[in-house]
Amino acid sequence: MKKLWLSLTVVIVGLILLTGCVSEQSAGSGDSGEGGGTGSEETSGNSEEGNSGESGSDGGGGVAVVPKLVGIPYFNASETGAEQAGEDLGVNVEYTGPTEADAAAQVKVIEDLISQGMDTIAVAPNDPASVEPVLKKAKEEGINVMDWDTPADKELVDLSIKQVDDEEFGRHMAEKLVEAMGTEEGKIAILTGGLSAANLNLWIDAAKSELEENYPDIEIVSDKIPTEEKQQVAYQKTLDLLKSYPELDGVLAVSTPAPLGAAQAVQEEGLQDEVSVVGSALPTDSEPFLEDGSLDTAVLWNPEKLGYLTVALGKMLAEGEMPEDGQEIENVGEITVKDDGKTVIMGPPQDYTKENASDFDF
Amino acid sequence: MKFLLKQKEFSVLAIVVIISIILSFVSPVFLTVENWLDIIEGNAVIGILAIGMTLIIITSDIDVSVAALTTAVTVSIGYLFQFLPDSWISVVLIFLIAPLIGILLGSFNGLLVSKIKIPAIVVTLGTLNIFSGLVLYITNGNYINSTNFPDSFMAFSNIEIAGIPILIYLFALVAAGTWFILKYTLIGRSVLAIGGNAQSSVRVGINFEKVKMFVFSYMGFLAGIAAIAQTSYTSAIDPNGLAGLELTVIAAVVLGGANIHGGRGSIPGTLLGVLLLAIMQNGMILARIDTFWQNVVTGAIIVIAVSYDEINHRRNQEKLSNIDVKEAS
Repeated sequence: MKKLWLSLTVVIVGLILLTGCVSEQSAGSGDSGEGGGTGSEETSGNSEEGNSGESGSDGGGGVAVVPKLVGIPYFNASETGAEQAGEDLGVNVEYTGPTEADAAAQVKVIEDLISQGMDTIAVAPNDPASVEPVLKKAKEEGINVMDWDTPADKELVDLSIKQVDDEEFGRHMAEKLVEAMGTEEGKIAILTGGLSAANLNLWIDAAKSELEENYPDIEIVSDKIPTEEKQQVAYQKTLDLLKSYPELDGVLAVSTPAPLGAAQAVQEEGLQDEVSVVGSALPTDSEPFLEDGSLDTAVLWNPEKLGYLTVALGKMLAEGEMPEDGQEIENVGEITVKDDGKTVIMGPPQDYTKENASDFDF
Repeated sequence: MKFLLKQKEFSVLAIVVIISIILSFVSPVFLTVENWLDIIEGNAVIGILAIGMTLIIITSDIDVSVAALTTAVTVSIGYLFQFLPDSWISVVLIFLIAPLIGILLGSFNGLLVSKIKIPAIVVTLGTLNIFSGLVLYITNGNYINSTNFPDSFMAFSNIEIAGIPILIYLFALVAAGTWFILKYTLIGRSVLAIGGNAQSSVRVGINFEKVKMFVFSYMGFLAGIAAIAQTSYTSAIDPNGLAGLELTVIAAVVLGGANIHGGRGSIPGTLLGVLLLAIMQNGMILARIDTFWQNVVTGAIIVIAVSYDEINHRRNQEKLSNIDVKEAS
């Protein structure tokens, strides 16, 4: 009998805890729902349809932005931008994603958003193939579907937002590296986050073709070297590279932790003047390396603006409008729309250097 | 020579030596003091964690929460840095507080495993998620760079005694200390006894719960030390920097001849396991092996090492009559 009571209490306490979590969450979305009344009014048709799935909540409507994962500086910055846009434009913004870059968990998040009856869902898919069915379902429910940061299946989305043109970005990094090296001949190595990351590979290929076409005397010493998206791995591999190729002049590091590790190795060996490092990194992270020249330039886009643009275009889409080539988006700048009419490029890459890195807070 | 051949660490040692010989022919840089110091310093964190993991694996348990636990301590260190004054006292304080936090978190694992008797894999899978979830919640994944560190800590990370970085001394101290505990103390012998045969060891009066509690708390303690090593090695705190490291740690221990079913494992073996993984990583770039082949080569060497060890072990077992408590290190 005692045991029965004990297990009953455990179950009840567990249930209370669980419901505690749930009600907090829905209360949260309800709050933000009130703030974004204007966004959902114009498209009440959609939200009604979605709301029927949920029990009498007044949440929903507005733009849902789903990052690959929450809790890394990059996606935190885009969250700031997305929420700013929500305030500025008076639209309800739901920024939510899995805590790990996990495709299955992301699908669940999108399922939840569908039943919350959003007007627009913007996804940065971890795996384009695995979000396909759930995005189809969203479309059937009358929700506008778009991707941002990383492309999903092109046929499926109404709008696809890209931070930069991959080709331009890769070529730009290569140019910056040559500029930092101060010579058009020499040896460089390429570090990457992971060998299978599609966007990183696109950048590297673009950088390689830029070097081949315009700087034929630059030799790439080895195949691209994977660093597991970790700073300490990039650090160790760069140390090994410096030992193995003492005549190395430059390192091109793509994926955000890789330039930091490469710069750390250069810094420790005191090779700031001999070896140039250029890569894609966030400005606050790279500050200590930019200061003494161990990292020459960090090239990226502005993730805050990317979040802002996603919400702004999401709202447009919900109102039945499409962005035009050369259109000026407030707080973001002029955007480019590709020939297919639905691929939007936010703008040119942004350089973070010793001079401007401290102006940013991401 | 016969004595050497009989040592169970011999198979790993042999492979380490063979790879080293090959690599030193391929790359003139490999066999330099500087390179070896880099290798050892770069793998101090994995090494320290692997030493703690050895004790757990000897008692036939496993701890998959080590990386998350270490990250939790690392993040705590970063938080403490905001309040600590810029003096040597801070470094001393860090060395007191970090292991303490580690012990607390580790003993939480230990408590669940020993008192409530939940299998360690379940417990640590749970705590892995709890720790990493909390870390993510508190830090929001934000990376902290060295501009926020006290200068005294940076000075500490750059100390070199006789040309050898301080982290290597720390690593050596941990290895020697744990080896001593395992070989010469009652609790260390109890760890081996429980791994050999839990039931008979309880019959001879070994306190099962106390030993389990000890191995998990000790793992926590070492995770605290590893967190200091990691912070000073990367001069930064990255909440995602150690993700997935537990697999490398477990692989190093198993490569070093420890038996997942318990009872077998030693500190020198684990050190060799760490070294084997480390020189393979290092050698791939030095030997200028094509990137896409690196994983294949790494995998192949691991399979060879483990099967060689297993065959050797089985051959030895056939010669022996069955003894519950096997001699270790």
